[in-house]
Amino acid sequence: MFMDSLAYIGSRAPVYLEVLLQGAGVTVMITAGSFLMAVFIGLTLAILKTYRLSIVNALINVYVELFRGIPALTLLFICYFGLTYVGTRLNPLPAAIIGLGLSGGAYCTEIFRSGISALHHGQREAAAAVGMKPFMTMRYIILPQALRITLPPLGNYAVGLIKDTAVASAVAAPEILFRARNLTTETFDTAFIYLLVACLYFCMTFPIARWVDHLEKKKASQS
Amino acid sequence: MIGLLSDFQSFLAVYPQKWPSWSYDITRAVVVTLKITAGAFALGLVIGLVVAIGRLSPRKSVRRMATVYVEITRGVPSLVILFLLYFGLVPLGIALDAVPAAILGLGISSGGYIAEIFRAGIEATHRGQREAGLTVGMSSFQIYRFIIIPQATRIALPPLVNMLITVLKDSSLASLISAPEIMLRAKDISSTDFLPLHIFLLVGVIYCLLALPLSLVARVMERKMFAGLGARL
Repeated sequence: MFMDSLAYIGSRAPVYLEVLLQGAGVTVMITAGSFLMAVFIGLTLAILKTYRLSIVNALINVYVELFRGIPALTLLFICYFGLTYVGTRLNPLPAAIIGLGLSGGAYCTEIFRSGISALHHGQREAAAAVGMKPFMTMRYIILPQALRITLPPLGNYAVGLIKDTAVASAVAAPEILFRARNLTTETFDTAFIYLLVACLYFCMTFPIARWVDHLEKKKASQS
Repeated sequence: MIGLLSDFQSFLAVYPQKWPSWSYDITRAVVVTLKITAGAFALGLVIGLVVAIGRLSPRKSVRRMATVYVEITRGVPSLVILFLLYFGLVPLGIALDAVPAAILGLGISSGGYIAEIFRAGIEATHRGQREAGLTVGMSSFQIYRFIIIPQATRIALPPLVNMLITVLKDSSLASLISAPEIMLRAKDISSTDFLPLHIFLLVGVIYCLLALPLSLVARVMERKMFAGLGARL
């Protein structure tokens, strides 16, 4: 009985993996797209915040608080189902990228803001003392240092993002979990297929998580 | 501009019209969401504490098992864990209901994160504290119970509240295994009333309203903690 099921699994695994790996490509696409979008939003808003304009800052704070409080799944549904009400029909993939990118943007804003504010204010003053304009100060003094500080939290965010892309299966983006669900409705082999899926996600996130640990250890040993 | 404004007004006018027919389902769904959140977080706290102590155990095998647990829950999406528990156990003859499966799954996945929070808290308490406990003849259980954990909890509280917000948001995943919480009810309503934008925006507002007090509490606690540290220095 047990050997039978083992042999069955052995014969099915390559078939499953082929389908799931195609899904992994889509998962990587969604991750990359929403990561770029989130970093772009986060960096822009964090730099805007350094200008200390009260209205702009208030708006940014509202954005951050709102999007940190709303589940990614809700945002996805707003983008995918909700926007049809105003006549915009997004495909699953763009909807997933925009939804995850918007919620990630809020996180990245906080990450970059804390990175920038972690720098000693003497850096900025020194730049001003040698006659650098605000843009140059940001470009050559603040950002290079702040980006190095933000690498570990950005890596953690990337790990979280890869996991969050599983949500895109709910709007029928053909990523790993969506393909897995289709497979299970054909084969009823739920336990094995979802275990394979878990392994796939783990293989994608583990290297990044390890890299983050390495960065953090390096930083701890330096200070 | 005026056109947009009147559009917006007619958009909002739908809510008072529709609320009477939505309120029953949605309020009950909010209760289910809170139940899942509370259950999963409580389970996560228990798992987290056990795993955190395991990670600091003097025995290598225990340490390694705890580390593997943390790495796996960090690397596997909560949704996949939910699917494994809800669909994956069926061939083994275990059919969990949606809400228990959601509580179990979210508890397991948050447990790994909570373990890391506790570990950071435990490691932040000074080594001398433990040594002092040993000097007065406390057992290692007593040291944890009366010396380490009370101090570690204080350090861990702000990140724990943030974790609670994450669990609250992740409880929306339970809709995908058909637990009757906010997102599932919203999906039902949107497919009967064809007002997806209205209902999902409302859901977003509800989650925000539930999360906002928590994030305020976390911020106040962070400030208080730093104030306490400042006073001691």
